[in-house]
Amino acid sequence: MSQEHIDEAISREYAAGFVSDIESDTLPPGLDEDVIRFISARKGEPDWLLEWRLEAYRGWQQMTEPKWAHVHYPPIDLNAVSYYSSPKSMKDGPKSLDEVDPELLAMYEKLGIPLHEQEMLAGVAVDAVFDSVSVATTFRGKLAEAGVIFCPISEAVHSHPELVRKYLGTVVPRKDNFYAALNSAVFSDGSFVYIPKGVRCPMELSTYFRINEAKTGQFERTLIIADEGSHVSYLEGCTAPMRDENQLHAAVVELVALDRAQIKYSTVQNWYPGDAQGRGGIYNFVTKRGVAHRDSKISWTQVETGSAVTWKYPSCILRGDNSVGEFYSVALTNNFQQADTGTKMIHLGKNTRSTIISKGISAGHSSNAYRGLVRMSPKAAGARNYTQCDSLLIGDRCAAHTFPYIESRNPSAVVEHEATTSKVSDDQLYLCQQRGLDAEKAVSMIVNGFCKEVFKELPMEFAVEAGKLLEVSLEGSVG
Amino acid sequence: MPDFMARPLDSAKASAPPWMQDYLRAGRGRWQTSSMPTRKTEQWKYTGLQALQSTYAPADDGVVQLAEAGVELPRFGGFRLVFVNGHFAAEHSDKDLPEGVRIVRFAEADNTQAERIRQYLGRAVGRDQVLFTALNDASLAEGVFLDIQAGAHIEQPLHVVWVSGNQGEAFSVNQRLLVLCGENSRASVIENFCGARGEQQSFTNGVTELLLEAGATLNHYRLHLEEGRALHIGRAHARLATQATLNSFHLALGSALKRVDLVVDHCGRGAHSEVNGVYLPRGKEHVDYHTCIEHRVPDCTSNEIFRGIIGDEATAVFNGRIHIHRDAQKTRAQLSNRNLLTSVNAEVNTKPELEIYADDVQCAHGATVAQLDEMSLHYLRSRGVSRADAQVMLSFGFINEVIDTVRCDALRDYLQAFLTRRFARDPALTGGVS
Repeated sequence: MSQEHIDEAISREYAAGFVSDIESDTLPPGLDEDVIRFISARKGEPDWLLEWRLEAYRGWQQMTEPKWAHVHYPPIDLNAVSYYSSPKSMKDGPKSLDEVDPELLAMYEKLGIPLHEQEMLAGVAVDAVFDSVSVATTFRGKLAEAGVIFCPISEAVHSHPELVRKYLGTVVPRKDNFYAALNSAVFSDGSFVYIPKGVRCPMELSTYFRINEAKTGQFERTLIIADEGSHVSYLEGCTAPMRDENQLHAAVVELVALDRAQIKYSTVQNWYPGDAQGRGGIYNFVTKRGVAHRDSKISWTQVETGSAVTWKYPSCILRGDNSVGEFYSVALTNNFQQADTGTKMIHLGKNTRSTIISKGISAGHSSNAYRGLVRMSPKAAGARNYTQCDSLLIGDRCAAHTFPYIESRNPSAVVEHEATTSKVSDDQLYLCQQRGLDAEKAVSMIVNGFCKEVFKELPMEFAVEAGKLLEVSLEGSVG
Repeated sequence: MPDFMARPLDSAKASAPPWMQDYLRAGRGRWQTSSMPTRKTEQWKYTGLQALQSTYAPADDGVVQLAEAGVELPRFGGFRLVFVNGHFAAEHSDKDLPEGVRIVRFAEADNTQAERIRQYLGRAVGRDQVLFTALNDASLAEGVFLDIQAGAHIEQPLHVVWVSGNQGEAFSVNQRLLVLCGENSRASVIENFCGARGEQQSFTNGVTELLLEAGATLNHYRLHLEEGRALHIGRAHARLATQATLNSFHLALGSALKRVDLVVDHCGRGAHSEVNGVYLPRGKEHVDYHTCIEHRVPDCTSNEIFRGIIGDEATAVFNGRIHIHRDAQKTRAQLSNRNLLTSVNAEVNTKPELEIYADDVQCAHGATVAQLDEMSLHYLRSRGVSRADAQVMLSFGFINEVIDTVRCDALRDYLQAFLTRRFARDPALTGGVS
């Protein structure tokens, strides 16, 4: 795409009467091929990637929004979304914490987030000599030494085109579903990770990510490749509430675990859930999937407490023999939040194993659904699945659902599914209160116990924060 | 809707009494405006209807020699009614009704009876059902009304046999059974669908409505013993008033297409239901059970157990939904579905569902798909039992735990003997001869 085209695309916003300042490079709302050409050109992408995006876009146009999830929301006007906006300048942010919403600060306080991190999270403009930058540099050096590539995907397209081209869209095909296709067409940025053969990533990629979190936008795309025999643990998100003006988030995450590799992907999602009356909040429609080759392992751990509407099914395609898939999830909904989340375990290889542990907690007027698929293909001899999903109800206006699909076509495969639903028992509450805990603390303690199996899968410091996060998220649901 | 049912429906219209015509018209209207479900229809995700769509003739009322057709008419004591191809077969049916129950065939209802039928018909399934219930409405003439009086205690089972006989071309039968259990009554109803031996193609659309008034207890058994190309799409809806109890048991042998929807609606406090079943498809057969337990009011309990053995190239589908409505507090609901796959080409798709809108409830469901336990086989073999015998024992034992819940002794004995014979000679049910 030539410079003229770019200029033309930008200038159209004036034609449409959209008021914007030229420097901010924001496209007017709406999506067509020119918008995609513009995004691609702005990022200086190679032709193949532009074609790839356009193909996704053409597929997307033929698709319709999925309606099967157990969530209700007004129709989203995808033409009212602006599909390109250059990252906000730090200068537009608050000048100091004094200018930040006190409610937000109160929550940071409860979560015990250090002051300088609070500033970073709230988007306070900070000095260039801010601590974490040097920390980040140290990390970068350590990773480079190990041969680990960890950079924004937009950078990887230039620095490691062969890897990106080889793997992008191989796990979540461009036309996989409505939101994945949309993401493929317009994805803004995200992370790219490559762990070379036999390398054990020297640190949890979480730490680095947390202090390096840039506004990656609403159409985030992550690609993680663990080469043969390598090992990586990646943490996305953080317990601190994130405010974002974009209502729709449609991210795609692709994991490739080659032979004998292990990927552990942990998510803590705490996007704005809307207020207590159910106004506002993020729509989080995410496609996450990993392909596990021979003897490899993919483990998803998620703590979902945010977003007004969540639609998310981190999945494993267990392609190689003896590969292992795991899914550990805590999903908490309060007020008017709605979540439809779960996983898919597609067993293709022999002796593949999967474990699903899902804990759903509903409070207030919220609705929380587990939706899962376990499929044993005819070739998955000796495959094994164990699924446990428990729901806890707090209050009589909330809802909890379980929709597990089990498809087995192999007589030597074993699938076990169990689900229970109950409320926090009065006896348990009484016992705690009798020992001097107030009702809210007691419930939070019981809920934490309920989620223990999942929390123990989280990197340690996050397990502690996740516990606090549940406590904060449940506020006001008792009594 | 491609009207492959036009001929049977025309014929039904011609034979139906005047009071029924508006049901027929409404049903046919809804049937014609419904569209055929596809694999994208959630309720039909795993069950295709290709096998169904040929053209059907109305069922013959010619005399069918049941013995020649290989139809067995077992006796479980009590009162037996036999219908062949949807037509009442007086020669096989009993005459002396037990006290406390009236049986009325819709086509023969007098004005008072017709009025009573109209009062209750559709109460359980609802009036606005589409597709196969609408189709059933469009062809009501062969319906039967079992009217069990309040306070009646009927010890012996009421046995209704629906036989699909042989006929030159593919034919269709629509059956309706309406059971009203008056207050504090007790009764057992056995519905037995069976077919002739051979390759006769037929399509049965059987709808059963069970209305249990306060304090009533009903044992309901629905046996689907048709095989081969006898297709069955059926539905049983029960509506339970206060303190009513339903104990039901379902058995399905496979056929080219068998789909049964069971709905139990707990509408009165303290109602209790037990819904158990066994399915045994083999060959290229297909069995699909969709069950839905509705808890609309507080203090009800339900318990559901379904087990299946799927062999050869057969497919089984099970969908077990438990729906607890807002404010249906103190509900206890349980569901268990277990499956044995005995062949590399067999398939099972199961989905236990919980949909819960009340908090003070205890609900659980479980589903498993597996094969016979090697350790148990080993245990038996170490005690001198051959592998083949051990397989028969374990697989029969697997379903026998459910058969044991049948409360009618004569029926339980019959089923156990019938299935024992089957298990002894059919490797599809026992995991082959490896």
